Amino acid sequence: MYKFLLCWRYLRTRWIALASIISVTLGVATMIVVNAVMAGFTQEMQDRIRGILSDVSFEARSFNGFRDPEYHMREIEKIVGDEIEVMTPTVTVPAMLSFQLHGEWNTRPVQLIGIPRDAMQYASKFRQYLQHPKHREQFRFELQETGYDLRDRHGGEDAPLRVRMETAGMVHRRNMIEYRRQWEQQLAGKPLPHAEQTVNDDSQPANDVVDPFAAVERPLDPFAARNDAAQADPAAPLTGCVLGIGLVSYRHNGAEHFLVLPGDDIQLTFPTAGTPPKAVSDTFTVVDLYESKMTEYDSSFIFVPLDKLQELRGMFDRESGTTFVTSIQIKLKDESRGSIVRDKLQAAFPPHFYSVSTWRDKQGPLLAAVEMETAILNMLLFLIIAVAGFGILAIFFMIVVEKTKDIGILKSLGAHGSGIMGIFLSYGLSLGLVGAGAGMVLGLLFVRHINEIRIWLGNLTGQMVFDPSIYYFYEIPTSVNPWTVAWIVIGALAIAVAASVMPALRAARLHPVEALRYE
Amino acid sequence: MNKHHSANPAGPHGPTVAPLRAQARDGASAHGQAAATTAVTTATTAAGVQRVRPAAAPDHEAVAASAGGVLLKAVGLKKDYHKGKHVVPVLRGVDLEVRQGELLAVIGQSGSGKSTLLHLLATLDRPDEGEIWFNGQRIDNASTRQRDRLRNRHLGMIFQFYHLLPELTALENVLAPLMITHGFFSYRLQRRRLVERAKALLETVGLGHRLKHRPREMSGGEMQRAAIARALITEPQILLADEPTGNLDGRTGQGIMELLRSLNTQSNLTIVMVTHDSAIASQADRVVQLVDGQVSDS
Repeated sequence: MYKFLLCWRYLRTRWIALASIISVTLGVATMIVVNAVMAGFTQEMQDRIRGILSDVSFEARSFNGFRDPEYHMREIEKIVGDEIEVMTPTVTVPAMLSFQLHGEWNTRPVQLIGIPRDAMQYASKFRQYLQHPKHREQFRFELQETGYDLRDRHGGEDAPLRVRMETAGMVHRRNMIEYRRQWEQQLAGKPLPHAEQTVNDDSQPANDVVDPFAAVERPLDPFAARNDAAQADPAAPLTGCVLGIGLVSYRHNGAEHFLVLPGDDIQLTFPTAGTPPKAVSDTFTVVDLYESKMTEYDSSFIFVPLDKLQELRGMFDRESGTTFVTSIQIKLKDESRGSIVRDKLQAAFPPHFYSVSTWRDKQGPLLAAVEMETAILNMLLFLIIAVAGFGILAIFFMIVVEKTKDIGILKSLGAHGSGIMGIFLSYGLSLGLVGAGAGMVLGLLFVRHINEIRIWLGNLTGQMVFDPSIYYFYEIPTSVNPWTVAWIVIGALAIAVAASVMPALRAARLHPVEALRYE
Repeated sequence: MNKHHSANPAGPHGPTVAPLRAQARDGASAHGQAAATTAVTTATTAAGVQRVRPAAAPDHEAVAASAGGVLLKAVGLKKDYHKGKHVVPVLRGVDLEVRQGELLAVIGQSGSGKSTLLHLLATLDRPDEGEIWFNGQRIDNASTRQRDRLRNRHLGMIFQFYHLLPELTALENVLAPLMITHGFFSYRLQRRRLVERAKALLETVGLGHRLKHRPREMSGGEMQRAAIARALITEPQILLADEPTGNLDGRTGQGIMELLRSLNTQSNLTIVMVTHDSAIASQADRVVQLVDGQVSDS
């Protein structure tokens, strides 16, 4: 009984001891915040990657692909049929994107992915990342009249405005054709008495908002013009394609600017499936932009209809009527069984022709890097708490020395060494509880209000603390795992108790007579 | 020496402690009982080397004589202190007997080893040589736990510097030995009864108005009274006092002496008191002089 009473009294009369556990508090709070942010980051990233990649992909090792996807899907169905929700044959091939800007051709390397026109069946969350609300419901590579998202829909009202996006779609396409027509007429030396009015009469009030440089930005495209001229309706879209938003956009002064808008035409160049491969090109109309918030994908993916890509690359066999694809994307009923499905498929198909991987395998290095980062941070922060442990040790030694006489008195009253030790151990435990508890509350509060704190800090220092244009997150993602929190608190408690063991042992071993004589 | 005690009819465990049943409240009735239950062999008087000073308090001597039995006995105690390479002998073979119900004073100069003797008797330290017997049981070589238990339940101690716990109130200080005796739940269960007892005891020593005061808010005399109440709360058989008046002025010290005296007479409490003050010592039933670590026959 006296242990608890004295422990309590020492706690209440020695506030300095609380100073020694402030470092524990801060350590625990920091650990909770760091773990929550890292976990949030990982989770967000995993969600995104999972949305982009299918659970399991069954791929040919060659760009030429494999023959007869229907046969392969039947075979896969036989092996792991009850695990599969949906399968999608796709063709993936490296390609070059070319588009015109200020009369100059821009060329970029991209990853071209052919997916079925009926993307309802595509084995990923592909449609969720499109920029037109209708396309998110249903997508068939068709250009919409207008109505593309004017802001990043994840950014809310504060998200930067997308410059010129209000005309994107068929409206923009017709505008561009009209501009070109007028430009060609001007070049041909024909008078243009009411050129400006013609444009303004062109049935869109939105044109007033369009920046005046738009006309300068896309002047002449002789190729496109010729193509248009060849068609009955010059404004009719060509084969649709979806561009990764990072390929054609940039941020300037807080606004998103686009080099290419839905409605523009672009050119794609890619190798044929023959040997040796030859380069083929075709013109596509951008029907939407793809924004998954994973820069790696947003700045390399271009989606086109599978049949068009197969046709252009020559991935079909006229005699048998079969086609070729480079991969089959598989969506599972239960994602966690990905590695089991992978192993079964690996065993069933010759590995020198086919490679089977889960989305985790594909993003393994990235996920492992984040995990490693978290582990190292945890280790460092735990070392901070351990250092705090030495602070506790020192202060406890001082308290034991200060209380030497009391220890002697208690021993003269018949208190056993273990009881004396109990006083200081429970003292350490109580301090640890207070420290870790306060740290936990502080950490959880910080995590909960991290975005308010970020904004406040930004206002205070005048610098953006977490620039969404760099991270593609509008808010710092957090995820609190109760077990992580529990382990951190238990670890801190253990350190506080461990630090009090030595002083407590010393107290317990004090000789009563010497302790009583101590001045 | 062992022979006497192994012949003790009470056996190796000795008679269970005779609690001074509420000695502060009905000391008179406890007197006879305590004397009877601790009837240890009286044959050891032969070994007596004590110098009895009958002149000191003649009427008290009768009490001591009537008590008779030896409660606490030291035989050939030796104790050295080591300071680096030097060995400083403090006790060089002390024989002492404390009879049931007497107030014994051990007097000696500073450095004569009287405090060391008291610490040995109180089992706070172990002698290098010699034996200590309490109630017919040898206690100098008992296990630490047994000695802790003995100190807690059967021995009371007071000190020159009171040695109250500064963080606790007077009442809590008095309750401290009981808190040590009882575990957390056992104490919580009996708390009301134990607190009542402590209050009554503080009342007896004249501190009824100081229950909630911390030691630093009390005078020296009050602190010593609180210390006495603390020593008595477990109803010990013997009170060991180390210079109980050493830090007090004459009048206050006399007050403490009177309190000890009355406890001795009314509750038949055996008291061993160490002092360097012959005026204080003269109030004891019997005085033993310690000179250079030995009991002086002079």
